[in-house]
Amino acid sequence: MAAAAVRALLRPARARAPARFLLPPAPPSAGARHCAAGSQFQYIMVQKKGTKQNIGVIQLNRPKALNALCDGLMNEMKVALDLFENDPQVGAIVITGNEKAFAAGADIKEMQNSTFQECYRSNFLAGWNRVSTVRKPVIAAVNGYALGGGCELAMMCDIIYAGEKAQFGQPEILLGTIPGSGGTQRLTRAVGKSLAMEMVLTGDRISAQEAKEAGLVSKIFPVEKLLEEAISCGEKIAGNSKLVVAIAKEAVNAAFETTLSEGNKTEKRLFYATFATDDRKEGMTAFVEKRKANFKDH
Amino acid sequence: MWERPEPEGGEKPGCCAGKEELPEHLSWPSAWWQKGSQFQYIMVQKKGTKQNIGVIQLNRPKALNALCDGLMNEMKVALDLFENDPQVGAIVITGNEKAFAAGADIKEMQNSTFQECYRSNFLAGWNRVSTVRKPVIAAVNGYALGGGCELAMMCDIIYAGEKAQFGQPEILLGTIPGSGGTQRLTRAVGKSLAMEMVLTGDRISAQEAKEAGLVSKIFPVEKLLEEAISCGEKIAGNSKLVVAIAKEAVNAAFETTLSEGNKTEKRLFYATFATDDRKEGMTAFVEKRKANFKDH
Repeated sequence: MAAAAVRALLRPARARAPARFLLPPAPPSAGARHCAAGSQFQYIMVQKKGTKQNIGVIQLNRPKALNALCDGLMNEMKVALDLFENDPQVGAIVITGNEKAFAAGADIKEMQNSTFQECYRSNFLAGWNRVSTVRKPVIAAVNGYALGGGCELAMMCDIIYAGEKAQFGQPEILLGTIPGSGGTQRLTRAVGKSLAMEMVLTGDRISAQEAKEAGLVSKIFPVEKLLEEAISCGEKIAGNSKLVVAIAKEAVNAAFETTLSEGNKTEKRLFYATFATDDRKEGMTAFVEKRKANFKDH
Repeated sequence: MWERPEPEGGEKPGCCAGKEELPEHLSWPSAWWQKGSQFQYIMVQKKGTKQNIGVIQLNRPKALNALCDGLMNEMKVALDLFENDPQVGAIVITGNEKAFAAGADIKEMQNSTFQECYRSNFLAGWNRVSTVRKPVIAAVNGYALGGGCELAMMCDIIYAGEKAQFGQPEILLGTIPGSGGTQRLTRAVGKSLAMEMVLTGDRISAQEAKEAGLVSKIFPVEKLLEEAISCGEKIAGNSKLVVAIAKEAVNAAFETTLSEGNKTEKRLFYATFATDDRKEGMTAFVEKRKANFKDH
């Protein structure tokens, strides 16, 4: 018995988690590699946090530009998201900026001289939506400015937590353009027509409190507590079955893609599918036996 | 047999029903100033420091601005005028302090049959507000009930006075909303509140409307109109061309899936790069100066 306990302690954590979740697992060194490669990220900082090191945290790191999104940053974001998506240890992802700005827009200089032809040919901004295709849950921890592309980035995430001083806006109209990464679609679905039209047509910002009242963000925290609270939320989610969490996220997102009847059908099929999982059986058995569930992400 | 029968009492819509009626020496933008006094149910003027906000005020105070065919026809004329006036950048629709519009004229439809409604395409023309390409702000003081609430919801932005009340009381008359009330209200305030309002006929206050997401701002009664005009001026200060594109993109959110809506938005976004105003706006930003939009 004692020997088994000692062996269990010595066994590396990763080996306990079945490597079957979603995608073929990265080679064992991937987890270490990206931390070592962290210094090769120029525009973002990437680390794992949480008591179980199971929350992937991506921090935008262009402080002089108020984290304005540029192609380089979004490419690095894609790499980091792929890393976390493939890391079986990671149960949730948090994206954040600094206290002053989450991301205060896109890099205008990059697109100042673009023509329609160049935009269309190069499929401009097409790769900026990687966040919206991540299968693991993503929480945006927004302190300070989330404007234009920054607001759109936050809205691509599943959950938005805001610091008390956060401000949200779509000021593209002031530059003679319109939101190009889902702002008109996601904002309207979140806050309703009147406020969305007001924000998109005037460029005016709303506060964290207004954003919560309108349904854009679900919680507000003091500035210095925001990131730890977002990580806590991630840890709460990561304590559930990663497999079933991904299924749940897919179901919620279907609500924006189809009619209520078809969405209910989709949900039902996904619900039935959970009965093919060990985790569903373990979860319900644990409930009946009045004990804590031990999910295996399988 | 498909023509709508003449309304009882021979009440004709005020002002010019069609462009053909204008004398040759008058062009449309100047014409309506001269003909302005011929509106019977509404008052129409341009406001704002640059006279670029078209204001339509419902003017049937004895009927609490109840919407009738005549009023909606005049509204259509006024909206066409503002849509075609290159000076106008935004439109504000308002009532008086007591009522925005307290419903539709029940006497007009009291004796209608299903056949007459269907043949005449009853209320079909009442949605002109929802097809306007320029931004429209509803400044709602007092009652916005039934057709009045639906009229406000056709607008892009709703500003409410502190005493405003919104409701869809059609159920109390044995009918249902017929100009988008069940669709726009539900999308704005969610199922539970929309069902409650539509099935009971109960009203909600301005504060409840803001909390529910139906209106975006509340102002003191006497400040409402000037604030709505201010909002219009803020919008009119941007490129009129790009504002219309932005409005089209936001409205697409109600017509299609999120994925398709994102595609639509992307195509419209690319299209703005074909405009001079987009180049001017971004260049002004980089050069840290005020943009000088030309609506082109």
